[in-house]
Amino acid sequence: MQEVKKMTIRTIAISVLIAISTILIAYFIFDDSKPIIMGIIFGSVLGMLNFYDLFLTLSKASIMNPGKARNFAASKYILRYLFVGIVIFVSIKADYINVVGTIFGLFLIKFVIIATNLFNDRSFFMKIIKRKEEK
Amino acid sequence: MEPITGRALVLAASAIGAGLAMIAGIGPGIGQGYAAGKGAEGVGRQPEAQGDIVRTMLLGAAVAETTGIYGLIIALILLFANPLLGLL
Repeated sequence: MQEVKKMTIRTIAISVLIAISTILIAYFIFDDSKPIIMGIIFGSVLGMLNFYDLFLTLSKASIMNPGKARNFAASKYILRYLFVGIVIFVSIKADYINVVGTIFGLFLIKFVIIATNLFNDRSFFMKIIKRKEEK
Repeated sequence: MEPITGRALVLAASAIGAGLAMIAGIGPGIGQGYAAGKGAEGVGRQPEAQGDIVRTMLLGAAVAETTGIYGLIIALILLFANPLLGLL
C-alpha cells in the first residue's frame, strides 16, 4: 500500500508543479490575471484533495466486505461530487474567480494521471508506428 | 393568458437541459461503487495483490470521475451563467 500512497503523493506533486507553471504563464499572458490565478489555485487544490480522498476511500474500501465497500465508495463519490459542485458554483457567482481557471485546475490532476500513468510507455507508441511484419 | 416570451422559453429549456446533464453524474457513482466492491472481492481472494488492485482502481476511478464533472459543469453553467440568454 505504501507504493500506492507514494504514487498518489507523486501525482499531486507533479500537479502542483504544473499548476505553478500555469499560474506563471497566466500571469505573463493575461492583463487581468488575478481571477484566473485564483481560479487555478481554487480548482487545483480541490482536485488534489479529491484525489487524495479517493485514495483514502479506495484503500479503506478494499479491506471492507464487498457490499459495504460498494455503498461506502458510492457515498464518498456523492460527497466529492457535492464539493466540486460547490466550488464551481462559487466560482461562477464570485467575480474574483474565473470559471475557466477553476475548471482547468479541477481537471489538471486528471491530465497528470493520464500523462504519467496511462500514456507513459514510449515503446507502445513506437509499436503503433512500426509495421507488424517488421521485427 | 400571457404569451411565452423567448427568454422564458430559453430558461425553461436550460433548466430541462441542466436536469438531463446531471444524469451524467449517476454513471461514475455506480461504476465506482461496483469497482470498489469487485476490488474488495479481489483483495479478499488475493490479499498480497492489494497494492496493485488499489492502484488500478485509483487511476481508473479518478479518470472515470471526469465525465460526471463535465455534466455538473454544463448543468451549473446552464443554470447560473447561461450564455444563451445573451443571444436574445
